[in-house]
Amino acid sequence: MSHSFFSAVTKTLRRELQRMKSRPLYFICTVGVMSFCFLFFLTLFSPGQPTAMPIAIVDHDQTPSTRSFIRNLSATQQVKVVMQLNNQAEARKEMQKGNIYAFVEVKHGFTADAIANRRPTIVFYVNDTYLIAGSLLYKDISYMSALASASMQQKVLRAKGVNESQIMGIIQPIISDTHLIGNPWANYGVYLITLLLPGVLQLMVLLMTIFPIGVELKEKTSREWLRTANKSMAAALIGKLLPYTVIFILLGIISNILLYGFMHYPTQAGIGGMFLATIIYILAYQAIGILIIGTLPVLRDSVAMAALYGLFAFTFAGFTFPIEQMPYPVQIFSEIFPIRHYFRIYVNQALHGTSISYSYAYYLIMLAFTLLPALVFYRLKKAAIYMNYPTK
Amino acid sequence: MRLVLQSEIKKLQVNCKETFHIFLNELKVVSRDRGVVVIFILAVLAYPLLYNVVYKQETLSKLPVAVVDNALCHESTEFVRHLNATPELNVYGTYPTLSEAREAFALRQVHGIIYIPSDFARNVNTGQKATLSVYCDMSSFLYYRTVLQGTNHVVLDLGKNIQLKRLSEQGIAGEAAQIIAEPVPYNDVVLFNETGGYSSFLVPAVLILILYQTLFFGITILAGTAREENRFHVLVNTSEHKGKILRVVLGKSAAYFMIYLAWSIYVLKVIPVLFQLPHIGNSIDLIGLIIPFLIASIFFSMTISVFLPNRETGMLIFGIFSLILLFLGGVSWPLSNMPGFWRAFGWIFPSTHGIQGYIKINSLGADIQTISSEYHSLWIQTVIYLFLCVWAYHWQIKKSSAKARLRQMASRKKELTIDKTAPLTNSKKDHTPEA
Repeated sequence: MSHSFFSAVTKTLRRELQRMKSRPLYFICTVGVMSFCFLFFLTLFSPGQPTAMPIAIVDHDQTPSTRSFIRNLSATQQVKVVMQLNNQAEARKEMQKGNIYAFVEVKHGFTADAIANRRPTIVFYVNDTYLIAGSLLYKDISYMSALASASMQQKVLRAKGVNESQIMGIIQPIISDTHLIGNPWANYGVYLITLLLPGVLQLMVLLMTIFPIGVELKEKTSREWLRTANKSMAAALIGKLLPYTVIFILLGIISNILLYGFMHYPTQAGIGGMFLATIIYILAYQAIGILIIGTLPVLRDSVAMAALYGLFAFTFAGFTFPIEQMPYPVQIFSEIFPIRHYFRIYVNQALHGTSISYSYAYYLIMLAFTLLPALVFYRLKKAAIYMNYPTK
Repeated sequence: MRLVLQSEIKKLQVNCKETFHIFLNELKVVSRDRGVVVIFILAVLAYPLLYNVVYKQETLSKLPVAVVDNALCHESTEFVRHLNATPELNVYGTYPTLSEAREAFALRQVHGIIYIPSDFARNVNTGQKATLSVYCDMSSFLYYRTVLQGTNHVVLDLGKNIQLKRLSEQGIAGEAAQIIAEPVPYNDVVLFNETGGYSSFLVPAVLILILYQTLFFGITILAGTAREENRFHVLVNTSEHKGKILRVVLGKSAAYFMIYLAWSIYVLKVIPVLFQLPHIGNSIDLIGLIIPFLIASIFFSMTISVFLPNRETGMLIFGIFSLILLFLGGVSWPLSNMPGFWRAFGWIFPSTHGIQGYIKINSLGADIQTISSEYHSLWIQTVIYLFLCVWAYHWQIKKSSAKARLRQMASRKKELTIDKTAPLTNSKKDHTPEA
C-alpha cells in the first residue's frame, strides 16, 4: 500500500515536472518574479534612510548669521538645500511640483532682532503628504532650530556670568536618549523589506498552488492527473505540489539569507527561527491555496480570489499601520492571514530577540493552517473526476 | 476634386461607423464576461471602501507604553502624568525594574518604555542636565514616530518649566527669562496633510492604483479569453478585421475609457470627500489629468495583453506589480532618493505619473500647469503606447496567419502521407500556448 502510494506520488511528480518544462510561465511565476523582487527591494532602499532630501530656503534677511544657519542645516545628513527662493508663494509652488519637501523662511531683520533680544522666529513648512520625507525633515529641521537657539542661549548666559556647569542645565534641563530596539539606525529597509519579501512570496505561493491544480480543471486534464496518481487524491496533490514546495522553500531561505546575511539586518535570536518560520509559512499558504481552488474549482475565480487575499496580506501583516489601532472586526479578520503570525515571529525572533518560547503559539497557528485542505479534499476530488465546473 | 472629397468623407463615415460598432461590441463582451464584470465593476466599487475602512484611524492614539520610574521625585511623577495626558501615549503600567518592563515589551503589551533613572532626581535638584531613556518598538515606523513625538512634547514642556525656575534662581525672571529660554522660537507649519495622517498619505496613491490595476487585469483577461476562444489563439479575428487594426484598437479602448471615466469620478472625487481624505484639487484640473492617464493606461494594457496567451496569465505574472507600482509612484520612499535606474523604470508606467499628478492636484492643490511634467509624460505615453499597441496587433496577426498557413500545409501533408507522427507533433506544438 505505502509502496504503491509512493510510486503514485513519484509518477505524478514526474508528470508535473514535465508540465512545468512545457511553459515559461512556471519559471516566471516562481524564480522570475522572486528574483525581480529581490533586486527591486534590496536596491530601492539601498542607503537605508533617505538622505539629502531637497528643501528650499526663503531668506529675507541675507546676513552672515542667517547664511551660517543655512550652512548648518545643509550639513545635516537628511537635508539638502537645493534652492533659494524669494517668497513663500514661490516655495509653495515648488512644493506642489514635488521639487522640495520642506522650506524654511527667515524673516527680514532676523539677525538684528536676535542681537537686540527681540526673539525673531524661524518658520519652517513641511509637506506631510509624503509622510516619510515629511517626518524625517521635521525632525532634522526642528533639531537644527533648537541648536541655533542653544548657541545663542550659551552666549547670553556666559555674558551674564552664569557658572559654566550650570549653563547646560539651563539650556537643556531634560534630555531623552533614545534606544531604537533592534533597528538602531532606523533603517527603512528593516521596517519594510523584511516583510515585503515574505509578502511577495505568499502571493506567488498562493497563485502557484492554485494555477497548477486549476489549469487541470480548466483544460479538462484532471482525470488524467488523478489516474497518474492511482486515483489517490492525496498522492495527486503531494506529487503535484512538491516541486513548488521545494522551489518556494529554497526561495524563502535565499530571501532570509539576503536579508539577515547579505544586508546584515538584525536577527537577535539567530536565523534558525526565521528559517523554520519560513518553511511553515510556505506550507500554510500552499494549504490556503488548496482551500481556495477546492472551494472555487474554477481557475479564473480562484486566481482573482488569491490575488485579492494575497494583496491584502500587506495591509493585515501589521508592519505598516499597526493592527491594534484598526477597527475591531478588522483586527479579528487579520488573524486569518498567516503573514500576521509570521510578522509576530519576526518581531520576537529577529527584532527583539526574545526566547523562542514567546513565539511557539504563532508557529503552531501557522502550522494549523496546513490542516485546511481536509475541508475541501472530497470536493476537489469530485471536481477533478466530474469536471462539472465552468472552465471559462 | 469634389468627388474625391465626397468619397473621403464617405470613407470616414464608414470608418467611424465601424469603430462605433467595435465599441458597442466590446461593451457587450465586457458585460457578458463574469470575471471581467467582477473586476471592472465590483473591485472598483469595493476596494476604495475596504481600504478606507481599514485605515480609518489616521494616526496612532493612546499607544500603550511602560514606565520605570526609579527617581520618584516631584518632576518624574509630573513627567509620567503629562505623558499619560498626551494624545499619542497611554501609560499602560509602571514597573519597578527595567527588566519587568522589557517583559511587557516582549509580550507586546507596550510599544515603548520610558526609563527614568535614580540620578534623574539628583540632577534635577542640583541644576544639572537630567537624562531619561526612551526605548522604541521599531516593528513599525508609526510606533517609532508616535513614541518619539509623545515623549518629545513632554520633555520640551517640562524642560521649559525647569528652565524658567533655574533662571529665576540666577536672578533672571520675566521678559528676560523668556528671551533666554527661547531666543529664536521656531514655528513649524505642516502645510498639507496637517495631521500627519496615514491614510491621507497612502490611500490617494492606492486609489490611482485601483483604477490602473483593475483596468490592466480586465483588459488582459479579455484579450486572453479572445485568444483562448479563437480557433488560432489570436486576439483579433483575422479575416474580419484585416487592415483595420487602428479601428479595433480605438473602438475597444473607447469602451474601456467610457466605463473608467465614470469610475474615476467616484474613486478620485467622491471617495476622498466621503472619507475626509485630502481633496483640495480643482475638478477641471483633475479631469485634465485623468483623461491622458486613462488613455495611456488603456493603450499600455492593450499592448501588454497581446503577449499574454491566457485569461489568467496577466494576474499570475503582474499581480505583484500592484505593490511594485506603489513604490515606483514615489509616495513612500521619496522619488528624490530613488536610484536613477528605478526612476527610469517607473517612468514607463502611466501609474507613476498618475499617482504623482493626482497627489499634487488632489492633496497639494496644484493646477495643471504646475504638474506639466506629469501631464506631458502621460500624453507622450499615450502616443507611444498607441503605436506600440497597433504594432503589436499587427505582429500578432502576422504571426498567427503564418501559423494558420503552416497548419493548412500540415493537414494537407497528413492526408497525403501515411507517416502521421511528424505533422501531428507539429500541430500539437501549435496548440500549446507559449508563455
